[in-house]
Amino acid sequence: MSWDYVLELIKNILVTQTGMPNLLIKQVIMMLVAFFFLYLAVGKKYEPLLLVPIGFGIFLVNFPLAPLMGYTEHGNPELLRAFYRYGVEWEIIPPMIFLGLGAMTDFGPLIANPKTLIVGAGAQLGVFITYIGTLFFGFTLKEAASVAIIGGADGPTTIYLTAKLAPQLLGANALAAYSYMAMVPLIQPPIMRLMTTPDQRRIKMRQLRPVSDREKLLFPLIAAILIIILIPAVAPLMGMFMFGNFMRECGVVKRLSETAQHSLMNIITILLGLSVGATMKAEVFLSWKPLLIFGFGLMDFIVCTFGGILTVHIMNFFLKEKINPLIGSAGVSAVPMAARVSNSEGLKAVPTNFLLMHAMGPNLAGVIGSAAAAGMFIAMFQ
Amino acid sequence: MRKIDFIFLSKDHMLWLFCLLLILILNPCRSWATFGEDREKPKPVFTRKDDKITAKLLPRAKNTSVLIDFEVSGAKLIEVQGMDFEEADRPEVNHKDFKSALFMIEIEALSPGGEAKVSITSDFFIRSTQYWIFNQNLETAWMDSKAQNLDRLDQVQELVIKVKDGGPFDSDGTENGRIIMLGGPKDSFWGYALGTLFIRYFGIFIVLSILMLGMIFSGKIFQYLEGKKAKALSKPAPQSAPVEKAEKPDVSNKGISPEMATAIAVALHLHFSGLRSSGPMHVSRLRPTAWTQQGRAQIMSERLLMYNRDKR
Repeated sequence: MSWDYVLELIKNILVTQTGMPNLLIKQVIMMLVAFFFLYLAVGKKYEPLLLVPIGFGIFLVNFPLAPLMGYTEHGNPELLRAFYRYGVEWEIIPPMIFLGLGAMTDFGPLIANPKTLIVGAGAQLGVFITYIGTLFFGFTLKEAASVAIIGGADGPTTIYLTAKLAPQLLGANALAAYSYMAMVPLIQPPIMRLMTTPDQRRIKMRQLRPVSDREKLLFPLIAAILIIILIPAVAPLMGMFMFGNFMRECGVVKRLSETAQHSLMNIITILLGLSVGATMKAEVFLSWKPLLIFGFGLMDFIVCTFGGILTVHIMNFFLKEKINPLIGSAGVSAVPMAARVSNSEGLKAVPTNFLLMHAMGPNLAGVIGSAAAAGMFIAMFQ
Repeated sequence: MRKIDFIFLSKDHMLWLFCLLLILILNPCRSWATFGEDREKPKPVFTRKDDKITAKLLPRAKNTSVLIDFEVSGAKLIEVQGMDFEEADRPEVNHKDFKSALFMIEIEALSPGGEAKVSITSDFFIRSTQYWIFNQNLETAWMDSKAQNLDRLDQVQELVIKVKDGGPFDSDGTENGRIIMLGGPKDSFWGYALGTLFIRYFGIFIVLSILMLGMIFSGKIFQYLEGKKAKALSKPAPQSAPVEKAEKPDVSNKGISPEMATAIAVALHLHFSGLRSSGPMHVSRLRPTAWTQQGRAQIMSERLLMYNRDKR
């Protein structure tokens, strides 16, 4: 055995079996992007439950030759590809997240004040404005719809719609949605102050009426009937959401409800985060499109906040009992962050003006509104 | 809030900008080329049954495939093929307007200079759908065929185009008893995008308004039923019924709790100190104390836990 042979062997091993010679600058950049999102999650605590698995998914998938997002010789999906294929491509994970969210949600404030549903609809303004904006920049109709839904501030809805219409944008859309959701306390207050006068911010709202258990129990059934009959395309999301809520309110399946809220939700969150992160390979992500998506996502959030507050102003023209326009901004989904922002802004105007419970109404309406918008978009392409 | 403002204006912002710049610098400008990549290019598959050829394709901006039937009267339909838009791309047209691909229709067995009627039918067409013809031998390569758009049963529209051998719609340009017609159905992209946008945005209002009305209605019923139930419970027992002896609270074995003792002591203190004071006791209701605010904040935080969805 000569030295040449040994050197040749070492060279072959290095080239074919290690990642080092195959590492590209693009992949290094993507790893830096992954570190950035991990920093946001760990250092800044921005949506850590999602950004940690997404960031780690980006980190893992950008290693050269790593058998994660491809297929084996026998055609079986590799680890992260399997998560993505069976979870996201088969549209299982987003509805399951809605199941958990339904089990976590108390619809009491919305039931007590159903008028706030209109605020949830008004706050979808940004979704449609962004849709037009992205079309001007050369996005296809399907891509435009998937980018526009970011403003609905609902992560699972964004992922569900994007996986269905424009899977090539999944990573960028999901990241934009979750990043901006985490930044709601930074994005919304300036717009809220800009769109309201000090007097309007001081409006005190009447205590919400108590909602009986029976009413809460029947709400998911009534809502599911009305929404799914009108927009059948939204059945997977709304059906699971209302099922989760029914489990919570019926009180006889406490174990199932708790599993949906905790264990199931946590497992699915890990799988979803890794799957979304794994779609962000350097060759897909490093282009102008994700940058534009981040830009449009921000605009989307701003216009949605604007739309929610504007809707309250319009409603106040017709209502005897005025609504504090600060709760309009909670019409973007982002539960409960957006409601908390409304509450804190209300307290700044008057230290005794607690708006949290009032803002929860439009906040929950925003969840339904963004799911309805997603359903409208899905129906559009059927 | 000042702290948040500080964060927004400093590190995070700078990091974002740095990342964007890095990607912009390292990413070559050819990315714009991929930007216009036609991901939705329709790829029709053709089947023939007698004199009818059917194209099955996934049009632009659709998730479900559609069928387009081609028939000819006055001549024989030889073949229909799909055509790549790039071959016919001109500044005056946009590929997004041609949702269902371009076709090359070949017709034969008509007398030289003769005329045939091409019928193109689909439930994908609407009343405003036009059929545009491409002929690169003409000065203006693209033209509207002025096809008749006819309503058929089951929401099917039929486009009927008169085409003359050797005429402007015939790409070979010669009277040879054979017609090659290039073109495709055209719908306004922006008209569709804006129209559907308007309808769908107001659709959300309609859906949520219906839900709101449903909830208001059911809420009224529940409030009525609850009120009725509460009334029935608060009704006094009938006169004739024997008056139940009120049970005396058994306090003999239970001592007074420390909280109760404190409350009684405070009440007695306030009562007697109030009697002694010459002026009315002043309690500021407008400015809650720090203690009150802390208590309220704690209550609100506890309520908030109920809605904590950070786990998603």
